[in-house]
Amino acid sequence: MADRRSGVTGPPEQGRTTAARAAAIAELLLLEISNLLDLYSKRESLTADVIAEDSRLVSVPPPSSQLDTADKLWRLHAALLQCRGLMERAIAKENEEMGSGTGEYETQRKMVKERLTFLINITGELVKAVDGPAAVTPSLSDSLEPDNLTLFELKLWVFRVFTEVNYWAKTAVTILQALPKERVRNTRYRSTRSTRR
Amino acid sequence: MITWLLLVSLFCNSAQDGRLKDAGVFRCGPQNITVKTSDHGIFLTWQDDPSCVSVHDMLTYEIEVLIADKLVHDDEVAVTPDQIGSTHSWNWSPHLALECASFAIKLRSRSENRTSQWKWEHIIPAGHIHSDSPQVYPRDKVFQVGSTATFCCVLPMGQVLEKLYLSEQSSTNWNISRISNHTYTLTVHLNKASTTSCTDIICETKTADNGACAFIGYPPDDRDFTCETRDFQSVECLWTVGRNTHLALKSPTSYQLLESNCPKGSSGRCSHKVQVDFGERNWTLTARNQLAIVKLTDRADLTKRVYMFAPREVQVSSVNASNTRLDWEWAIQMYDKLDIKCQLNVSDGETHSVRERNGIGLNFAVLNDLIPNWTYKVMIRCGTSEHFWKWSEWSSSVEFHTMGDVPDALDIWMQVKGSQTIITWKVLLANQSHGDITDYEITWAPTSERPKKSRVMHPQNSFALILYAMNEYTVSVTANNEYGNSSPSTITIPILNAGSDKVKSSRTQGINGGFNLSWSASPIASCGYIVDWCPTKGPCVIDWLRVPPSETSVRIFSKNLREGVRYLLSIHGCTHGAPVLLEKIQGYVKEKLIQDGLFKTLKWEQRDMDVEVSWDPVALQDQSAFIQDYILYYRDNNSRVLNITTDNPQATSLTARNLQIDSYTFTVKANTSVGQCGATSITVTLNSLTDNLINAIGITLATIFVLLCLIVILCYRNWEWIKMKVYPPIPVPVLKDKWMTSLTKQSCRPVFVEMSHHNEAELMAIPELHCKSEAPAMDCADPGNVSSQTTNEYFHKPVENLGTQCTTAPCQLPLLPPPPLSSSLVTDGHLNPSFNLTSTDSFETSSNGYQPQKQEQQLEEAPENPLPCALTYILLPQLPSE
Repeated sequence: MADRRSGVTGPPEQGRTTAARAAAIAELLLLEISNLLDLYSKRESLTADVIAEDSRLVSVPPPSSQLDTADKLWRLHAALLQCRGLMERAIAKENEEMGSGTGEYETQRKMVKERLTFLINITGELVKAVDGPAAVTPSLSDSLEPDNLTLFELKLWVFRVFTEVNYWAKTAVTILQALPKERVRNTRYRSTRSTRR
Repeated sequence: MITWLLLVSLFCNSAQDGRLKDAGVFRCGPQNITVKTSDHGIFLTWQDDPSCVSVHDMLTYEIEVLIADKLVHDDEVAVTPDQIGSTHSWNWSPHLALECASFAIKLRSRSENRTSQWKWEHIIPAGHIHSDSPQVYPRDKVFQVGSTATFCCVLPMGQVLEKLYLSEQSSTNWNISRISNHTYTLTVHLNKASTTSCTDIICETKTADNGACAFIGYPPDDRDFTCETRDFQSVECLWTVGRNTHLALKSPTSYQLLESNCPKGSSGRCSHKVQVDFGERNWTLTARNQLAIVKLTDRADLTKRVYMFAPREVQVSSVNASNTRLDWEWAIQMYDKLDIKCQLNVSDGETHSVRERNGIGLNFAVLNDLIPNWTYKVMIRCGTSEHFWKWSEWSSSVEFHTMGDVPDALDIWMQVKGSQTIITWKVLLANQSHGDITDYEITWAPTSERPKKSRVMHPQNSFALILYAMNEYTVSVTANNEYGNSSPSTITIPILNAGSDKVKSSRTQGINGGFNLSWSASPIASCGYIVDWCPTKGPCVIDWLRVPPSETSVRIFSKNLREGVRYLLSIHGCTHGAPVLLEKIQGYVKEKLIQDGLFKTLKWEQRDMDVEVSWDPVALQDQSAFIQDYILYYRDNNSRVLNITTDNPQATSLTARNLQIDSYTFTVKANTSVGQCGATSITVTLNSLTDNLINAIGITLATIFVLLCLIVILCYRNWEWIKMKVYPPIPVPVLKDKWMTSLTKQSCRPVFVEMSHHNEAELMAIPELHCKSEAPAMDCADPGNVSSQTTNEYFHKPVENLGTQCTTAPCQLPLLPPPPLSSSLVTDGHLNPSFNLTSTDSFETSSNGYQPQKQEQQLEEAPENPLPCALTYILLPQLPSE
């Protein structure tokens, strides 16, 4: 990964605009997932003691200062894909176990999922723009399969999914907001394309 | 030998049985024991030992349950001799989840004081002890509000319980106990239903937390179950859904009607195909959730419970001005045979009325009494006439517009304004005009004469007539539209001012934005009463109300009535002739405080030490309340406030007496039922009487001084003129004899003066003769300037030819004293000394008027005429001074 070089395949202005749009969408997602977490906590009366869980559901390579822009984007994109998979499973399990409704919570949940999809698409474009891997296949740990969970465990799991999305939304904001500067610098000094990983 | 052996064997057997019995050992016991567990508890089955066949009495199985080696429950199962040999069962729902602890079940039989040995069965929870986080049981179980539940938390080995609690439940009546080294129980009285998806039971240790869900709710509580039919081929039942069970997630209430499942989510309504027959039968609904099963039953004959479908395909046909016909169809053929009654909801946009029709298979209706040229909406609903059960839903609405017609008769009234009688009428409402009103026709005449006609265009709604006051007139008004004329509305105008001053007048106060008027019944009011009113403020636009003869009170309410405005109300009796004024009333809908500054012309006058403050009468339009009296407040410089009042509302002045020499502020206020108001103030300073006298003298003296000064100045500036007036120059006398000739050298010609018998004053009034030195035309010699005067008349005669001889020497006539300022001289214009003398002819001409210009002209035309001088005295010549 360290051998792979970042470069620009499209017009520079277009790339910069896409990155800015991606950052804006990530900010929006962060706001919406925060609201969803609030709604869920109130809806299920979850207390801080119970929901304190710091293990990650999304499995991606650990962050490192050695990662270049393309690696960071690829890692983010992969994580967001897993987040969407988790969201879809959480929504399906909730509808199955707790019934589907049309209230504010359900509306917010749908909005987050759609925003996440949008962010995935645009980060995918950015990955392509910096010669990242063509495709990323999400892989979720089997241990996270919620099929045999009790209802209480399902509640906690759904909360963890939302927390995970919240974490990656924050990460996306950080990465995407820092992206234009790095990309400009890379553009200046790396004008030749290198072999892909 | 054989017999001996048999006897020994029997003895041995009986001895052995006796020993067993004596020892309490009973071989008949349970065998093939199976234990099954479920969410509902423990299910135990077993069979009898084959030796039980020999038991001929009642066999009893004793069962004991131990949790963590502690007896928590015991029970017995009785087996009759005929049941011996079959499989027996027993079930029990423990208060504690089976996962919480090890359960041990002991089972033995007993018969005739003999008991078998205990058989043990153990139920050991699977594997959770090896979990790395606390495990809470039971999970996802349904509880009823008000019940007591026991939860347990099984801790991992070596961990210590921190907290064990329920969310959403009050913590009173919680009991936590330890049933083993690593298992704790929490017993709770459940007093609240789950408000979230489920109630959480949380178990916390120092290192890990976990929990479980509990669904706390209510059993079904549905009621008011009734069944009916709509199509005679199915039953449809309705009920009132009870309170929220709070178990919609885990155990939603399911319904069965006639043992058939109702669709999921049925809420208060379920139907089932069934042939509806005559006769009563039971209709049963079963509602169930995990907490309870509730059965609701309704006994009914569905042929008497027909809930009809709404009429469909409602159509309007043959629409006229005031009626129309409606037709509709039925969705169910059976309805054609039913005795049906229908309600027609007829809406005219503002109001609606319901009309009812009935008949066998009723499928049409005629609507009468409709408003012409009007849009209606009609909906229909029906029900069975016999054994009426309930109305159908309303049909879809159908709209139609009736044909136009002539207008309704107008409501007319009159108003007398000065010499004019205003005939006014209420503009017809849309539902009265039956078409667009074009104009109005007014006819009027004294009762015995041929009527006169006039037309006014819509929307004008009044017509002014000037009628002869001593006659009664009949006025008729008709409204016209494209369909024709309305029937005429007639009013008789009474003889004007006929006794209206004698009518009782009173006051009233409005209530709730209107007037409640009542009056004494009048025998002359054969056709009722008319109450009219108009405001005193702004234009008097009259409004009126008709009251039937049986009533003597009315409430007048109109959005046009304004607070703080005085209204003049009149009650008239309606007769077959002219209306008769019965009563006049003034009133306010609501009195309001009059604004300050009511008295626009507040004046004051000091009389000795009294001050009279006066004002102009207050106009009615300025009164926003009835003025009861006036109050005059006066405050001196020491802020001492005094007041005087008058109880006469017509008063226009108030006098404050015995005041001090000081500065006062006078404030006049009107007193009304809503308070004192309309305050208007003036500030005056009172002067002493001595001051006033001195002032008067001073002013007089100053005036005289100024006048004198003016006179002196005027005299000085016009001294010459005054001197001429007071001491006019005496003309040089004209003499005929010789000594006069010498005078000719001095260019002073004699003037002939004839003596006359005039008195002294008249003599004094001679015309002055001016002699000016070197004047080219001497006035004194000007024949025109010489006039003779006879008795009371002046005769101007031409002087003899002297024209050229009097051109050089000025002359003076000092002999005559200065004439006094005689009034005759001043007043008689002909005696003006400066007046140019004229000829006799010209005088005659001017005898009818003074025409000095003409005289002068005539004089110029006869320059050669001699100038006779007839003097009454002779003026001595005098040499001109050097």
